[in-house]
Amino acid sequence: MNGREVSREVIEACRAGDRDAFRTLYEIHKDRVYSIAFYFFNGNSEAAADVTQQVFLKLMTSISQFRGDADFSTWLYRLVVNTCVDSARKHKPASDGPLETLAAPEDHEGAYARTQTANSVRAAVSTLPPKFRIAVLLRYFDDLSYEQMAEALHCSMGTVASRLSRGHKLLAERLKAMAGGKGKS
Amino acid sequence: MRHVASQLAAHIDGRLAPASSQQIQEHLRTCERCQAEYVEVKQGMEWMDRLPLIEAPASLWTSIEAGLPHHQAPRRIPWAWLATAAAAMFAFAAYWLLAPAKAPTWEVTRTENSTQRISRIAPGQWIETSARSRATIKVGAIGSLDLKPNTRVEVIATQPGEHRVALAHGEIHASISAPPRLFFVDTPSGTAIDLGCEYDLKTAADGSGLLQVSKGWVQFEWNGLESLVPAGASCQIRAHAGPGIPYFDDAPESLKLALDQGALEKILSESRVRDTLSLWHLLSRVDADARGRVFDRIAALTPVPQGVSREQALQLDPDTLKRWREDLAWTW
Repeated sequence: MNGREVSREVIEACRAGDRDAFRTLYEIHKDRVYSIAFYFFNGNSEAAADVTQQVFLKLMTSISQFRGDADFSTWLYRLVVNTCVDSARKHKPASDGPLETLAAPEDHEGAYARTQTANSVRAAVSTLPPKFRIAVLLRYFDDLSYEQMAEALHCSMGTVASRLSRGHKLLAERLKAMAGGKGKS
Repeated sequence: MRHVASQLAAHIDGRLAPASSQQIQEHLRTCERCQAEYVEVKQGMEWMDRLPLIEAPASLWTSIEAGLPHHQAPRRIPWAWLATAAAAMFAFAAYWLLAPAKAPTWEVTRTENSTQRISRIAPGQWIETSARSRATIKVGAIGSLDLKPNTRVEVIATQPGEHRVALAHGEIHASISAPPRLFFVDTPSGTAIDLGCEYDLKTAADGSGLLQVSKGWVQFEWNGLESLVPAGASCQIRAHAGPGIPYFDDAPESLKLALDQGALEKILSESRVRDTLSLWHLLSRVDADARGRVFDRIAALTPVPQGVSREQALQLDPDTLKRWREDLAWTW
């Protein structure tokens, strides 16, 4: 079992109300769930924490519904998608929230450049339409099959493929435009 | 070959069947427009590789744990209380053995003339709306069911592993967020099985009806006959004969009519690539002669993937049909 697979025993223990097992489940998935929400909301750490908290609380309160023959990752990421989309309706635009830029060690030129690049990519991701943004983030932060992504996103595999193609193309275009804009200023 | 922009991410990710990927590769050799798109999609993916995984704040677990229901904490029984607990268990044992387990109830909100009334409904109970009323049932923790006017529904099961209602007549809108096969709607002409979805289902008293899926997938079954209906598609339900052939809502009207009339020639000639949804279902519902023609029409619309042979498909080999469906689903 790799670190991301969840054994049947852990899920069974969660269903029985074992808090230690739920902590194990949380530790396995927390960073991926948080990262998806963080980039979905353009580095808004409050929104990311809120979404992560909602996802795991929903997970725990409804894990009794989860049956072993279904795919756990699909279920988890469906919760992530639904919670991000619902929260996006409630939150102010991400640019109005407390944005967290990725910290760069200033004494290290290479690390600084990488961090600046990551901040640019993060900003470009946040300009994608939500349905493209969430698809691109799902693909990047977990090794889901297109079928699993289709279930999580409530669409067909063809639509997943199409959204990923459009999303990545738009991302490249926007980063190119941002680089062009900086060059001109 | 038409442009392949929408499939480029799947091609780069290596998620396409080898035959489809090879066709895209060949198309890219000659199409400058798709070559340019390919470069951009690949660049976009490379940009994403620059994003680091962000560690969730350590304090987050404390907030989550505080929000967990108290009864979910592992019970640690002090030894001093063990004898008392054991005695209590004996005292209650007879009750639990004799009394039937109480099934969970669901919350129902009835709306009539802008007035709302909230109540609970248990398995075995009916809810019926009038011409001027509606109702919403909270389906446990997994979703909701809206009853439109003149609808009659019985709650059958409310257990965590099975949420089931029976729709006698009327129209419902189901919105479910749960693993597949936890929510079922029985009708006089079969059962709608949720595969993670949102859908509308109409049923007349004689069992005829219509299933329209807006998100995810729904499986409709009747006596071994099954239809898989994806988002954007519908399926007629025939009185005591189960699900018809599903079709996309944007399919040509002439195709919908032909499906309704069972006019094979017209179905074959009017089908577009996306309508392989209907043709795939048709394979197992026509005789052997017609099956060959349906196979040939699907093959003419979209390449047959590796591992799917004509012979096995015509014999309705389940694995072959499943593999083919999974490949065709890219176009649905």
